[in-house]
Amino acid sequence: MLRKLRAAADAVGAALFAVLFVTFVVQVAARFAFDRPLPWSDELAVVLYVWVILWAAAVMVPAREHVVFDLAYNAAGPRVRRGMRLVGAVMIGALAAYALPGSVDYVRFMAREGTPVLGVSFMVVFAPFVLLLAAIVVRSLIDVVAALRGRRGERD
Amino acid sequence: MTLPLWALLGVMVVGMTMRAPIGFSMIAAGIAYLAVKGQDMGLAAEQVANGLYNSYVLLAVPLFILAANLMNAGTISERIFDFCRILVGRMRGGLAQVDILVSVVFSGMSGSAIADAAGPGLVTIKQMLRKPGYSPGFAGAVVVSSATIGPIVPPSIPMVIYALVSGTSVGALFLAGVVPGLLMAVVLMIAVHVIATRRNMPRDEPVPLRDYPRLIWRGALPLSLPVVLLTGIYTGAFTPTEAAAVAALHALVLAGAVYRALDWRALYTVLLESTRASAVITVIIAGAFLMSYAFTAEGVPQALAQWVDAMDLSQLQFLLMVSAVFLVLGCFLDVSVMLLVFVPMLLPSAKLLGVDLVHFGVVVVVNMMIGLVTPPFGMLLFVTNALTGIPIRDMIREGWAFLLMLTLLLLALVLFPQIVLWLPQSMGYGLK
Repeated sequence: MLRKLRAAADAVGAALFAVLFVTFVVQVAARFAFDRPLPWSDELAVVLYVWVILWAAAVMVPAREHVVFDLAYNAAGPRVRRGMRLVGAVMIGALAAYALPGSVDYVRFMAREGTPVLGVSFMVVFAPFVLLLAAIVVRSLIDVVAALRGRRGERD
Repeated sequence: MTLPLWALLGVMVVGMTMRAPIGFSMIAAGIAYLAVKGQDMGLAAEQVANGLYNSYVLLAVPLFILAANLMNAGTISERIFDFCRILVGRMRGGLAQVDILVSVVFSGMSGSAIADAAGPGLVTIKQMLRKPGYSPGFAGAVVVSSATIGPIVPPSIPMVIYALVSGTSVGALFLAGVVPGLLMAVVLMIAVHVIATRRNMPRDEPVPLRDYPRLIWRGALPLSLPVVLLTGIYTGAFTPTEAAAVAALHALVLAGAVYRALDWRALYTVLLESTRASAVITVIIAGAFLMSYAFTAEGVPQALAQWVDAMDLSQLQFLLMVSAVFLVLGCFLDVSVMLLVFVPMLLPSAKLLGVDLVHFGVVVVVNMMIGLVTPPFGMLLFVTNALTGIPIRDMIREGWAFLLMLTLLLLALVLFPQIVLWLPQSMGYGLK
């Protein structure tokens, strides 16, 4: 079940990225080959970009692929490591949770404005930021539970 | 320092030390700042989402990553390798020289040092380890050092990010990287030559003459890309972002249609990897949006500029100081953090002293590339170690000569801005 969900999340991200790439190719082709610049392509590309990046950061990138500073962690023993993971996850998870309601309000508030050409509601454009915050909260919770139970982290 | 600023730095340092992802630590730090200051949390969403939405130039980053991954999946590295063997393979330590030349050619198409090490770097390491005379440590050291050329010769992902934070022209920055990038290759080739002669390293066996036309043709095709890219950007035919898309399309056509080295499954994997790698970089950029909002609100860059001003530094003293500090920081921090957190803080000082921001950008990026190969935190060392199993300690032991050469070159770039600025100026940059 989890594997299928992950594969689906991957497929969505890859598809969005592919559309982003094709948008640019079409844009350049329209201007050069057909001498007809497209008014909407830049805007579509930027909207797709916000989505691809935040979507991927929220549900596609495993913890071990993120850039980390691990000199202190690697120097520590197993007990200290557990504590470190706990402190990091609690702190980041709590802060992300704290910012969640205000961010939801802001994103909903932006529904009254749309992008200039395509008229895509900014609520839709910015929504994946809320998704990212929520994902940080969920991941931190999973990490807290894993550290409490003494299981190894994804990177160990 | 105010209390909100302490909260920001505290969360950032604690998060990083506990080995939480740096990007998430930065976002959390920004949230902590807003919370302690009692500001609306909607600001966090606004800064990040709006920041991404309004940074059109950043779109070049995922597209350049896609281009590099397509080239690596499409065996373009192997073709460039064969091509370069003809040119420098017969020198002493030929394969090491080939590696440096391959890096130069590859960097004309890719803007990432990591992609350089993972693609052509891996190809040449395998070749070197097959031959007697090349120790694994030496092979790894050559590859990580030459991979630093990737983001100096255009296109360049760090330079795109620098353009974003500094407001300088991507085109001027790209041009400014050409000469320094080529010089990096020259100093590294000198170092290889000295070491290879002293150790009596083997020459590569000669390539049969009748193979020349085929190898040159196959190797020259990828070479057409940098020409198209640079001409396109400078004539204004396309924006740097569109150029990145053209680069990816070029790589796709070469890998898929010309070399037939890419099937649908491989293409899907490339798309996935590119999406993930883009997200990893951009999460840090998103965190930096929040942090720079906080720093600006607190007037940190201005305070720093006043401090620098009070010290009455000359341009040269300032650049030397920044270079020294960055060389040390580069040993411990990731490039993206330095570029997005520290560089924006220094920009007002640089402006105040009248330092050319394009010159400053190239100096800073070259400096950070050296940071990629300095222990304990050197991303290129990690990547090469992960791909080949060559111990990091061996690479460091063999790599000090290359590191020394690159650092001397950095000093030359600081002392003689004309090395950097000559090409963009002769193409019209800064002549208003």
